[in-house]
Amino acid sequence: MIQKEIKMAESKVGAVMVVGGGIGGIQAALDLASSGYYVYLVERSAAIGGRMSQLDKTFPTNDCAMCILGPKLVECGRHINIELLTLSEVDSISGEEGDFEVKVIQYPRYVDMNKCIACGICAEKCPRKVDNEYNARLGKRKAIYLKYPQAIPLKYAIDDRSCIYFRKGKCKACEKFCPADAIDFEDKSRELTIRVGSIVLSHGFATFDPATRDIYGYSRYPNIVTSLEFERILSASGPSGGHLIRSLDNKEPKKIAWLQCVGSRDLHTETKSYCSSVCCTYAIKQAITAKEHSHEPLDTAIFYIDMRTCGKDFEQYYNRARDEIGVRFVKSRITNILPADETGNLLIRYTDEVGNRVEEDFDMVVLSVGFVVPESSIDLAKKIGIELDPYNFASTSSFEPVQTSRPGVYVCGVFEAPKDIPDTVAQASAAAAGASAALAEVRGTRIKTREYPPERNVSKEPIRIGVFVCHCGINIGGVVNVPEIAEYAGTLPYVDYAEGHLFTCSEDTQAMMKEVIIERQLNRVVVASCTPRTHEPLFRETCREAGINPYLFMMANIRDQCTWVHMHKPEEATAKCRDLIRMAVARAAMLEPLYEIPQPICQEGLVVGGGVAGMTAALGLAEQGFKTHLVEKKKRLGGHALRLHTTWREEKVQPYVEWLVKKVNEHPLINVHLQTEIKDVSGSVGNFVSTLVDAEGKNTEVRHGAAIIASGGDSYKPKEYLYGEDANILLSLELDQQVMQDPEKLKRVNTAVFIQCVGSREPGRPYCSKVCCTHSIHSALTLKELNPAMDIYILYRDIRTYGEREDIYREARAKGIRFVRYDRDDKPRVKKTDGKLRVTVKDQAIGMSVQIDTDIITLASAIVPPAESDILSRAFKVPVNQDGFFMEAHAKLRPVEFASAGIFLCGLAHGPKAIDEAISQAKATVSKACTILSRKKIFAGGDVARVDETKCILCLTCVRTCPYEGPRVDEEEGVVTIDAVACQGCGNCASACPRGAIIAGHNTDEQYIAETNALYKL
Amino acid sequence: MITLEQKKFQEIEKMTKGYNPLLVLGCETCAAMSFAGGQRQVAELASAIRVARKTTEQKGEVLEDAVARQCEPEFVDLIADKVGGCDAVLSIACGAGVQLLAERFQDKVILPGCNTTFLGVTEELGVWSERCAGCGNCILDKTAGLCPIARCSKQLLNGPCGGSMNGKCEISKEVDCVWQLIIDRLTRLNRLEMLEEIFPVKDWSPAGHGGPRKMVREDLKS
Repeated sequence: MIQKEIKMAESKVGAVMVVGGGIGGIQAALDLASSGYYVYLVERSAAIGGRMSQLDKTFPTNDCAMCILGPKLVECGRHINIELLTLSEVDSISGEEGDFEVKVIQYPRYVDMNKCIACGICAEKCPRKVDNEYNARLGKRKAIYLKYPQAIPLKYAIDDRSCIYFRKGKCKACEKFCPADAIDFEDKSRELTIRVGSIVLSHGFATFDPATRDIYGYSRYPNIVTSLEFERILSASGPSGGHLIRSLDNKEPKKIAWLQCVGSRDLHTETKSYCSSVCCTYAIKQAITAKEHSHEPLDTAIFYIDMRTCGKDFEQYYNRARDEIGVRFVKSRITNILPADETGNLLIRYTDEVGNRVEEDFDMVVLSVGFVVPESSIDLAKKIGIELDPYNFASTSSFEPVQTSRPGVYVCGVFEAPKDIPDTVAQASAAAAGASAALAEVRGTRIKTREYPPERNVSKEPIRIGVFVCHCGINIGGVVNVPEIAEYAGTLPYVDYAEGHLFTCSEDTQAMMKEVIIERQLNRVVVASCTPRTHEPLFRETCREAGINPYLFMMANIRDQCTWVHMHKPEEATAKCRDLIRMAVARAAMLEPLYEIPQPICQEGLVVGGGVAGMTAALGLAEQGFKTHLVEKKKRLGGHALRLHTTWREEKVQPYVEWLVKKVNEHPLINVHLQTEIKDVSGSVGNFVSTLVDAEGKNTEVRHGAAIIASGGDSYKPKEYLYGEDANILLSLELDQQVMQDPEKLKRVNTAVFIQCVGSREPGRPYCSKVCCTHSIHSALTLKELNPAMDIYILYRDIRTYGEREDIYREARAKGIRFVRYDRDDKPRVKKTDGKLRVTVKDQAIGMSVQIDTDIITLASAIVPPAESDILSRAFKVPVNQDGFFMEAHAKLRPVEFASAGIFLCGLAHGPKAIDEAISQAKATVSKACTILSRKKIFAGGDVARVDETKCILCLTCVRTCPYEGPRVDEEEGVVTIDAVACQGCGNCASACPRGAIIAGHNTDEQYIAETNALYKL
Repeated sequence: MITLEQKKFQEIEKMTKGYNPLLVLGCETCAAMSFAGGQRQVAELASAIRVARKTTEQKGEVLEDAVARQCEPEFVDLIADKVGGCDAVLSIACGAGVQLLAERFQDKVILPGCNTTFLGVTEELGVWSERCAGCGNCILDKTAGLCPIARCSKQLLNGPCGGSMNGKCEISKEVDCVWQLIIDRLTRLNRLEMLEEIFPVKDWSPAGHGGPRKMVREDLKS
């Protein structure tokens, strides 16, 4: 049932293909490439980044999407073991798990990637304007284009469907003006045959097109936009440069409405009946951001059916938007929009909470469009033979959420089911874990490594600085006088070489730079060009190839921070370039070589918690070949899943848990410690030592290189609704027990009431417990099956059957289960008189009180963090959030990692979630842990902080300041020492130390003082 | 630890006016840990004085130094030469440090750059609170480890008084009633009967009310 005997190829290939270059594909590729597999990342468009690159902000932290995605793009683009295949599509797959042969069609770019230096002259000269897909067609781009400014690869491409040369046979303006001779009109499609061991599909999604069944007049009224278009309007890189204006008349809107569930939760033709899961929260985000953008007070109203803010911290985000920021929420589904007047304003009619008919004008209306699976994904699924569900999402099971129907082919992201970015990222890591599990024995067989010449000892040499000034095509050279700047650089102290180059980053200049360093025995290098964010690693690499320490390199950003921003003031810009270069040179003179020292790693894992998440994690690590300790405080493995009946998809949980427990117990690499708790943890990534204490109080020390916290959650034991005072008032899990043990008794029940949000979404426990709506509805359907005549009432606040769970909500209504909406401030009351239960509730739909005499009451009680979270939090020195759940390093892009390296989290320990999501997260932690455990050693040091022991007065400021638990008290020496492995080089400690006893490597006081003194010519 | 905070800059500026050269002298123990008088604060304060002098067109050099503890003559004497070359010393140590400097350098102007606040603990980075009043006669064994001398606004020994409301002191909603804390803690320790013992009138002479205090350990004296 769970694992079929799979026929596996005899000779496996240690490479993986990831299809789709959005955030899911990027994450899967990075995980795989960092744990010993060669990755082919196939992307249909000209650059990776996907939908996330089009977003303005991200919920619930309001981080800028591009700012957090950018570093991942760069890492992916630079990774020696990731091969980007852009403008490419998978055509067919043959072979079997372990050894697939994939045919990939690579469409022509017509631009030689080795030559293009992304100067942009081609696009400037191209006469052909076309709609810009990246800006959701709100603006124009040229036929030769860069997908977006931060695109990776940063290379132009010709769109041959609109290029004048390809349509009419002449033009070639781009070729004429390209300074790098990079245009190639002869470029042809290529068919590549690639052998890989497994495949990860991360196709992403399209958004519902409201023009297909245009009930709102989207194609008629310009001030109706989709939410994706609105993202681009808000974005600084969008068509209006981040200025919130209507495209019709460039006016700033004063009133904006969002209509939820456009194309989702809708049974009409062309629309989708599932819930798209993310639209409620993104509408809140857009409303908040729009208010921030607006110069005048902006009125924002969100029209919704149910607010489905069930992700981690989303409910608090919703509360803040409503109570503090003043976003209006109107519970009403809007079915049409009318023009209000001649000005382009739009009229919306609705019925308010108290039943009044209201007409309101809005300047703009945003349609919160849902997800759809694009035709191309459906075609590909057919080609490679994976099953799709009725909505065309890839078929998976709750217990194998990333496994498609074809062995060796894994799936993640929205192609699996509607989901947000953190769930996609976790699933991507999970898919990477799945894809690599079967290939563990060939790990490391296909990867490339870099070799460097021995490093020259420069300590005794007089300082000789080389300055390379970049023209960057016209980017720098078109604004300032580069030869003059280079000449000036030559006059600065210690400068031995200073020249201007057209493109410093081009391969030939890099080769030349290497030669110059060797020939002139340079021992410090300064490049005055663009940003270190994208180019520092490249130049450091060149330094290493020339035999000097990579930390003897310094960049002056004279493009982004000078010529781009002072484009119209060439003289002042030239002066500023001189200042920037003088500063960089002064600092370069103070640079010191820094070394990264290899440290051996303990290639074993520790998993805390023996529930489904913990067991999945332990089994995952063991299957990857790593010995794992599984610590469980109870007498048996299984956790809460032991009390669950079925998932909402009718999959029986008990056989699965039994199978999992058996697998874990039988695996030779898993050491199960029952009735055991964590007492203490020391060490850092690669080398932790944990003290375990068993039921008899005996201590055992275990060493491990990584740790996974899967300590689970508890169910809230309600003090309300007479819980505990009557045997017929149950919690959801207790009802599951009855269904499993005594279904006959339930058949005799005539009336059943479910009360939702018991202990959730309350002051003091503001979060949503996410699973309860689905659980109650599913239980109600089970009861209905046992006794079809049963009267069932579900008392709720918002029904949150996100994703395809919406199906069972619809089914429940069709089967006559009654849904009664109550208000948080007017809760249902439960009374027991003469042994009979009566529930009184004020139905918000009719504004009247309803009395229900019932046989049983089921309370959907909150999921709460377990009491021992505190102990674990102290032992591992990892934080919990305000609700008591463990806090990940970053809500969006690092959902299963702690900020402290080598420690991961999954399942209910992270927050309330369904079993499939807990399993995805658990597998994701396996993937993350493997990026550490698969290495024999890690490199520590380089630009990290160290303590001058003669100055340390043990004031503990650094210990309290460090976000990564780097500084530790050395009790024997009476000083603080900083663990080079844990240190991330952020410099917080160095700036906080009251004695100035901490030196942040590569960022010393002397270096900054030299730089600032140079600025003021002191 | 002894906690300190730097005086307002305007006050320091006025106090140090005209001295040339001026030595800003830090103390690397309690003052450093209070972020008021460590080496880093010396550098910051000296820079601020230099900037102020420059912008108001005053002349005068500002020197910097710090010693391990300004309350020890051996450390203080290490900088005698530097002090000798100065008009005045701005000490950013506690009051004890300032006074020892005045004692060791009889003919120098010694100025205080800090206010000495209290004997306390670090609650978290940047937050300190008073715990000990140095009364010379510790009673923490009888008050569940919480000091009513340092932490009760009235220094009551048989509290709480009628001003204790919902666990807070009547002087401010921000101040915990220490007697409430004492009772809570004794309850947890199951030692509430300790409250039945009535404190007699306190002898305040060891607390300094009998004149300046001095402590002599014959066994340690040379």
